[in-house]
Amino acid sequence: MNEIIYLIYLLAFIIGSIVGLLFSYKQHGEPFIYNKIDVLVLIIAILAWIILINSDILSSILSPIITISIGLFFIAFVLGMRPGYGRYETIIGITISIAIYGVKYFLL
Amino acid sequence: MVFLKVYFALNDNMNLMADIIINVLISFLFGSILLGFHRKVMARIQLRPGPPIIQHFLHSLKFFFKETTFPKTSSMPFYISIVCILCAIWIAAVIIAPVLKGSLLLIFAIYAVYKIVEHNAGSSSGSPYGKMSCIRAVFSAASELPLFAVIFIVYLQVGSMNISDIITYQSIHGPLILKLPLVAIVLFVLILSKSPYSPFGITKGKDIVSGYETEHFGLLRGYIMLSESISWYIFSWIFLTIFFGDLSILLYVVGMLAIAFLTGLINATTPILNPNHSVMSQISIALIGIVGSLLLMFVF
Repeated sequence: MNEIIYLIYLLAFIIGSIVGLLFSYKQHGEPFIYNKIDVLVLIIAILAWIILINSDILSSILSPIITISIGLFFIAFVLGMRPGYGRYETIIGITISIAIYGVKYFLL
Repeated sequence: MVFLKVYFALNDNMNLMADIIINVLISFLFGSILLGFHRKVMARIQLRPGPPIIQHFLHSLKFFFKETTFPKTSSMPFYISIVCILCAIWIAAVIIAPVLKGSLLLIFAIYAVYKIVEHNAGSSSGSPYGKMSCIRAVFSAASELPLFAVIFIVYLQVGSMNISDIITYQSIHGPLILKLPLVAIVLFVLILSKSPYSPFGITKGKDIVSGYETEHFGLLRGYIMLSESISWYIFSWIFLTIFFGDLSILLYVVGMLAIAFLTGLINATTPILNPNHSVMSQISIALIGIVGSLLLMFVF
């Protein structure tokens, strides 16, 4: 049973990476540009990392398997973008979600 | 009653088959992500953006849809069957290690067969690069097999070569890495020697193009890449299970990523050694590891 869950997570991650790669090549056909943050991608990254690290928040509504799979799909979507894109968004997403986890763990 | 027994026996077999298929899929998918991550780490150290981490996976898929051509110089039945054997032995390794948690001795046997497959894949292609790789495979077998032979020390410590017994031992006595650190280093060097662009990777050194893989195209190359992904996953899994015990999924993922990161870091900063230096370095590491571990176990 554990292995099937593991496989679902892996597939979510791989499909997310492929979709992210296709999406970013469609969005950015130009030569590589540094230091620009895409707001849409940033929102996706923040939500995805919050869903993954704090999956217990939504446990009353959705099963953790579904929330973690959705989280992994969108994390991979941002991480798997064209090389060089999505890095800052990922770092901001991780930082915010860890901060929320820390607040939840120490204060609640 | 007989029908019920047959039903339960069939049910067990079906469960085992499902378990094998799922584990093979996981090892291929996750192995290819790990190899992609390894490549990314190397690229970042060399100040390049590098390909996406699913590149190895996409490459493997690509070869399954490309035209397969056969060199005129190849020894035909052998040229194809050796790839099938390569695939079969790593699928067997998945069955022995993560599915059944069987004997390390069988993994050792699979590794020995793998060296023979490396040797024969090179010779069957008829390419001079393949033949050079074939000779180097024999060379490297002389140094890599003693590295894997350190599982004997694990046997001396645990009293069994079964992975399930090693896991049980560690759940009682703590992780083996604390008791046998030198053996862990030696096995890590074996993993390092199997990583892409390894300083010890003489069979696939860029001086001989892609070594024994040079003349394998299309579908055959796809199967070789599939086997490489599975073998990388299995090596990482064995290392973590032998030295850290039965871990949670998250810890396995973190551990495997750490192994891929470390090997990528070493490979990006180290030149590929020439065959003589590679063999002597590995034999020296194996000797220090084996003798040192025996001294730690029986003298200190």
